[in-house]
Amino acid sequence: MKLVLYSGGSEDENRFLNQRALDLTENNSPKITLIPSSSYDAEDDFRFFVQEFQGLGVQKFMLFCVDTPYTKTLLQEVLKSDLIFLGGGNTFYFLKHLKKSGMFAHFTKFLRRGGVLCGLSAGAIVLTPHVHTATFPHFDRDENPWDMKNLSAMRLVNFEFFPHYKNSKRYDAELLHHSKKSKIPLYACPDGGGIIIEGDQISFCGKTHQFFQGKKLTVSGYLG
Amino acid sequence: MLENRSMGNIKLKESRPSKETTKENLGYPKFREVDGNHPLKKMVPEAVVEYQVRTRHGGQVAFFNFELAREIGLISENHPNELTKELKEEILHTFSIVIINEYDMMNNFNYPKDEIRPHTYMATRYLQLQHPCKKGTTSGDGRSIWNGQITNKGKSYDVSSCGTGATKLSPACNINKKFYQTGDPTVSYGCGYSEKDEGFSSLFFSEVLAKNGLETERVLAIIEFPKGLAINVRVHENLLRPSHMFNHLKQNNLPTLKRMVDYYIDRQVKNKIWKNVPTDSKTLYDYFLMKVVETFAQMSANFEDQYIFCWLDWDGDNILMDGGIIDYGSVRQFGLYHHEYRYDDVQRWSTSIKEQKQKARYIVQTFAQIVDYIKTEKKKSIDDFKNHHAIQNFDKRFFDYKNQNILTKIGFHPKYAVFLFENCRKEVEDFRNDFTYFEMAKSVKGPQKVPDGINWNAIFCMRDILRELPQLYLGRGVGGLVSEVEFLDIIKSSYATKADLKRSLRRDLKIRSFQKTYLKLINLVSKKFKESPEKIILDVSMRSSVINKYDRVTGDSITTIVNKVMNRKPKLSAEEISIILKEFTDYQNLNPDKERRPSNFEAEKEQSRLVKGMLQIVREYRDGI
Repeated sequence: MKLVLYSGGSEDENRFLNQRALDLTENNSPKITLIPSSSYDAEDDFRFFVQEFQGLGVQKFMLFCVDTPYTKTLLQEVLKSDLIFLGGGNTFYFLKHLKKSGMFAHFTKFLRRGGVLCGLSAGAIVLTPHVHTATFPHFDRDENPWDMKNLSAMRLVNFEFFPHYKNSKRYDAELLHHSKKSKIPLYACPDGGGIIIEGDQISFCGKTHQFFQGKKLTVSGYLG
Repeated sequence: MLENRSMGNIKLKESRPSKETTKENLGYPKFREVDGNHPLKKMVPEAVVEYQVRTRHGGQVAFFNFELAREIGLISENHPNELTKELKEEILHTFSIVIINEYDMMNNFNYPKDEIRPHTYMATRYLQLQHPCKKGTTSGDGRSIWNGQITNKGKSYDVSSCGTGATKLSPACNINKKFYQTGDPTVSYGCGYSEKDEGFSSLFFSEVLAKNGLETERVLAIIEFPKGLAINVRVHENLLRPSHMFNHLKQNNLPTLKRMVDYYIDRQVKNKIWKNVPTDSKTLYDYFLMKVVETFAQMSANFEDQYIFCWLDWDGDNILMDGGIIDYGSVRQFGLYHHEYRYDDVQRWSTSIKEQKQKARYIVQTFAQIVDYIKTEKKKSIDDFKNHHAIQNFDKRFFDYKNQNILTKIGFHPKYAVFLFENCRKEVEDFRNDFTYFEMAKSVKGPQKVPDGINWNAIFCMRDILRELPQLYLGRGVGGLVSEVEFLDIIKSSYATKADLKRSLRRDLKIRSFQKTYLKLINLVSKKFKESPEKIILDVSMRSSVINKYDRVTGDSITTIVNKVMNRKPKLSAEEISIILKEFTDYQNLNPDKERRPSNFEAEKEQSRLVKGMLQIVREYRDGI
């Protein structure tokens, strides 16, 4: 299984992770697909996505929205990609539409045949067992106007992911509080950072912190 | 409304400035220019009917278009999008007015002197097919008056208001041979009032179309009154319609016709819309005709290609001289090419979208007749101009614009589109023919009744195939054609039934031909500009994803959105509507070259829940009328 979880940030900050993600495809001419969290302004996101990865030598791109109807033909073509990139945005909205469109099962098959699945912020959170990390801290959380109760997600990894982390007391207070109730570790990454998973191997990019059972640890030995 | 105050006798053109009407407001001096004065009153007095106006009480500003107000100089460039008390008062003072009409005068209604404005306001005369007199002697603005003209940065704009009282030019007045009191509940359109939902429909629709580069009137303000009534204020660089000239032609009134044409030409020159205009009078009118040909060829090609239904007809009403859209009551944008849709106007059926070209052509023919009349001072039959060179030019230019439009729709960058247009006409037309074959396909169900007319549903969504095809080619490689089954799966709309999607030899051949001609264009560009076909397709794909966005507004979606906005509780303020409108129209801006914000692939989803709800509506109605 090949996964790359991005925290967020600018193209420059994420260049290292982007290159690593492409390396994981083991294809010199990979086909990559952007699945934005919402079709709203997806075309703009796609343009920037293309610009960034074109700079890294990619030539084949697709855009696929899960919150608007799509054809079987396009879906099949998307699933033939070497890399699928789940964009950021509102985690609840994205989760709702990923579930509604049955994408989780497709992603599982995609990963099984060696595809690289990347997610940025909301797109990364949905790869974890549930999306609780989108519900806090109270000063920077995603809105859930749909009042979604079932927050279970893809369960591709056995940890929680907290993007856009800032090393500060007010973040830590909420993360530590949450970690006391959680049975799995939580990794918090600053913008530009992330986590790369290749089979059994996990590596970290940027200064990552682990919050587990009320304790905060700094991950030593990170890439990038 | 008669109130227990000192009354003044009404005498046309004799009222004096009152305390109220001369009130100086230093914050908004430009509003003072909008006082009923308009050059047309002096230039072509027989083309207007002048009315005194008085203050109409009880109005509230439901909407004010800050962006447009800045553009025309009504407010300063740095004015915030805030409806201050002072601005609100200024808007109401300037636009909350009602005419003192013939009925009021016959019944000796008296109004307080201080409520009567110093200048008269004009209702303009123009030809209208729904009037009993087919010469335009009694028709024109039935419930509108022109507030005046405003100039900013060398450009002048006409300002008019709808819902300002019943004039003698309304159809009701002339069919029933009586004057109506403004607000008379026994007549609807003829009562002189307009409704708030009309204003908001025009607002949302016109702002979307203006953002996408179409000429249109725009809504400056909506002043609401109890019972859903409103005064809807609109602005455009020039609000003259062909019908403002056609009435004088029908009446054989050469002097007035000539002055009207001269006024229009002068306005276009002064506004610097026309450049290098000849100075000698005979060539000048040929130039005028050439401009009309260009305008109407482009406009009718654009309407057809963007599925805009505007009910063009021989009277030259419902359209502006510069091809701009006016009177959104009968305007629609279809999601598919519903070329059999006709609006049921009780006494008649409207034209269909496909017939608009013929109507535009006839308008050009009438202008050829006008120019000849002015030049020779002899009026010839309209039939003498059937084969006029202007008509031939119109036909040629119409297809030129169709070719340009299809290249833009595919998603070619302008430099590629220009190359193909200028050098590969046959290849472009081959593709356009294949495109049209699918675009025109109708349901086997036959004609169906729809709430406001009749339609024979189109079944294919051409935007979908133009958006998805380049993506599939990119994924599969340029040689990886889409199968017939896949093609139909992509192109089918919600109107297509199983029977509609049946394959046939002809349809299969067309699917193959569509892709062949499409790729031919890609390869021609690739060869000329020495770029790989993949690179061209990638560029086309990105542009096409914006141009052929999944959710583009339709007439029905606008109607539903307007209901949502108007029924929102708590009621939305004018400022809130401005924010929502901006967000909505930005989203509906299908220009791939529009300015973009930097992204980290994590779009900030700031749009309000209301806008999200609007987009859901747009999606639901995206194939409709």
